[in-house]
Amino acid sequence: MKSLQVTGKKRRLRNRIELLDIIIFIILLAITLAIILPFLNVLAISFSTQKDFMDSRFMLIPKKVTFANYKAILQDGRLWVGYRTTLIFLMIGVPLNLFLTTSMAYGLSQPGFPLRKFFIYFIIFTMMFNGGIIPLYLLMKQINLINTIWSVILGAGLNSFYLIIMRNYFMSLPSSLVESARLDGANEWQILFRIIIPISMPIIATITLFYSVDRWNEWYFAMIFIRKNELVSLQLALRSIVMEGQASQHFNYTDVNAIEFSDGMKMGAVLCTMLPIMCVFPFLQKHFVKGRLLGAIKA
Amino acid sequence: MVKSLERVKNFFKDLWKWRNNCIMILPGVGWYIIFAYIPIYGLTLAFKAYRANLGIFRSPWVGLENYVYVFRDPAFLESIWRTLFINFGRLLFQFPYPIILALLLNELRINRFKKAMQTVLTFPHFLSWVIVASIMINVLGSQGLVNSLIKIFGGEAVNFLGSTKLFVPLLYITENWKSGGWTMIIYLAAISGIDTEQYESAEIDGATRLQIMRHITLPGIKNTIVVLFILAVGNIMVQGFDQVFNLSNPATAKVAEILDMYIYRITFKTAADFSFSTAVSLFRSVINFVLLLSADRITKWLGSEGLFS
Repeated sequence: MKSLQVTGKKRRLRNRIELLDIIIFIILLAITLAIILPFLNVLAISFSTQKDFMDSRFMLIPKKVTFANYKAILQDGRLWVGYRTTLIFLMIGVPLNLFLTTSMAYGLSQPGFPLRKFFIYFIIFTMMFNGGIIPLYLLMKQINLINTIWSVILGAGLNSFYLIIMRNYFMSLPSSLVESARLDGANEWQILFRIIIPISMPIIATITLFYSVDRWNEWYFAMIFIRKNELVSLQLALRSIVMEGQASQHFNYTDVNAIEFSDGMKMGAVLCTMLPIMCVFPFLQKHFVKGRLLGAIKA
Repeated sequence: MVKSLERVKNFFKDLWKWRNNCIMILPGVGWYIIFAYIPIYGLTLAFKAYRANLGIFRSPWVGLENYVYVFRDPAFLESIWRTLFINFGRLLFQFPYPIILALLLNELRINRFKKAMQTVLTFPHFLSWVIVASIMINVLGSQGLVNSLIKIFGGEAVNFLGSTKLFVPLLYITENWKSGGWTMIIYLAAISGIDTEQYESAEIDGATRLQIMRHITLPGIKNTIVVLFILAVGNIMVQGFDQVFNLSNPATAKVAEILDMYIYRITFKTAADFSFSTAVSLFRSVINFVLLLSADRITKWLGSEGLFS
């Protein structure tokens, strides 16, 4: 991997700003604003009263800041349930992901290992052909994991793309490292934990990040496998708040205590749901981009 | 005979030598068997009549009976056409967007904004479709930013999310909004891999920037474009469920029923006939497999690495 800083070519010649530059800048600015403004809008609405919002025409700054929406949405309780469930997914799920991914990636990265080829095809086949959600759902039902967090945690236990990215990274490490350790009498476990993992921290960090984001955004398995109000995942909690009317078809919240959510409360919920990713992204962008390029075309 | 016995013996000897590796891959292999291969075996339900008390393994075989009903269901056939129609449109309206973004950002010489713009453009990809759909419902709603703009310029408010006509274009726009910047990263990397000398000599020769873009930058990322295009074609049957599921509503349900939505509806929303929906699911998996396999072969044939290893 060469320099990961993705920037344009430096051109010393003709560095004058011309009309074309202005046009390009304006187009890109418009596209960027098309992304930023909706977020600002969400932020502003979440801090406004419903009346201010309805009176406004193009709301980017709240007229008068109020925290009432946040208070109300947190009192509703389902966001808390969502946070709890999703944090469980993260805290149990990500370590499991890393354990399964790292050990298998290392095992399959050693050139001499006789079953290596077979298991690579074994993995790749599942990337091209899968059973889909129905057999998986019936399997979960048969092994009694429906309505438990384990259906989601185990169901998303491994990601083949990440596994192959990690294996490729391990294979790119100089083989002399492993061989000299073997000559010194270290066994494979010691090699993995004392040599490979410490020098592979960058890739492990990247893969951890990807698994964490996936877990945070988990909703599909959670929707199919868990139909229990006290185990609703965060994304589905948000879904039930924002898309209340239509969501009740997919979602089995009892309508008895359904409240009318104001736009402010809905947008507050959106913000609460994406806050961690928003806080983390600017600082870890480098790792995200690196993962993108390591996976090259593959994700 | 003796020779092959010898070979088997050697193989197991080798395996014993690598026993630690075997143990290492065991948890992962176990996961694949349980959560990938048993469900693949579960697709045999397409040829069985599922009974809850007998489970996947012991339900009785019925041959092709399920398929007789599948191909008689007009909703199934419609959903296939809809999937193909929507996703061919993606090749037209979605695929070029990241390339254009990358070219523009690469040409941007006002360097101060480059990094910030790249950050903003890549960010939305990391939000789930639940969040993005929530934001879109707000932005495109009657009080939303877009309608406010329309009203400021004297137009009539448009019901974007409830319109069956606007639903498909909206899919392309929102997908570009969410993931255009993320795909752009790949193209930017490809551009930064182009030999600098080519640019320098072109500039000395007095080529205009458009000429340079057309004759150096674009050819330089041609391979990347081709590979991503083939991959996009390979995914044509399975793309977009998360997006469609979250952006559609009862008003647009009719135009939103792509194959995966159809499978979801018949499995989890109406009285489920798991054999029937597995039959549909198997059909989907087989088509998808053929598409991906061809895509992989074609990229290899074109001299690329192939899509999967």
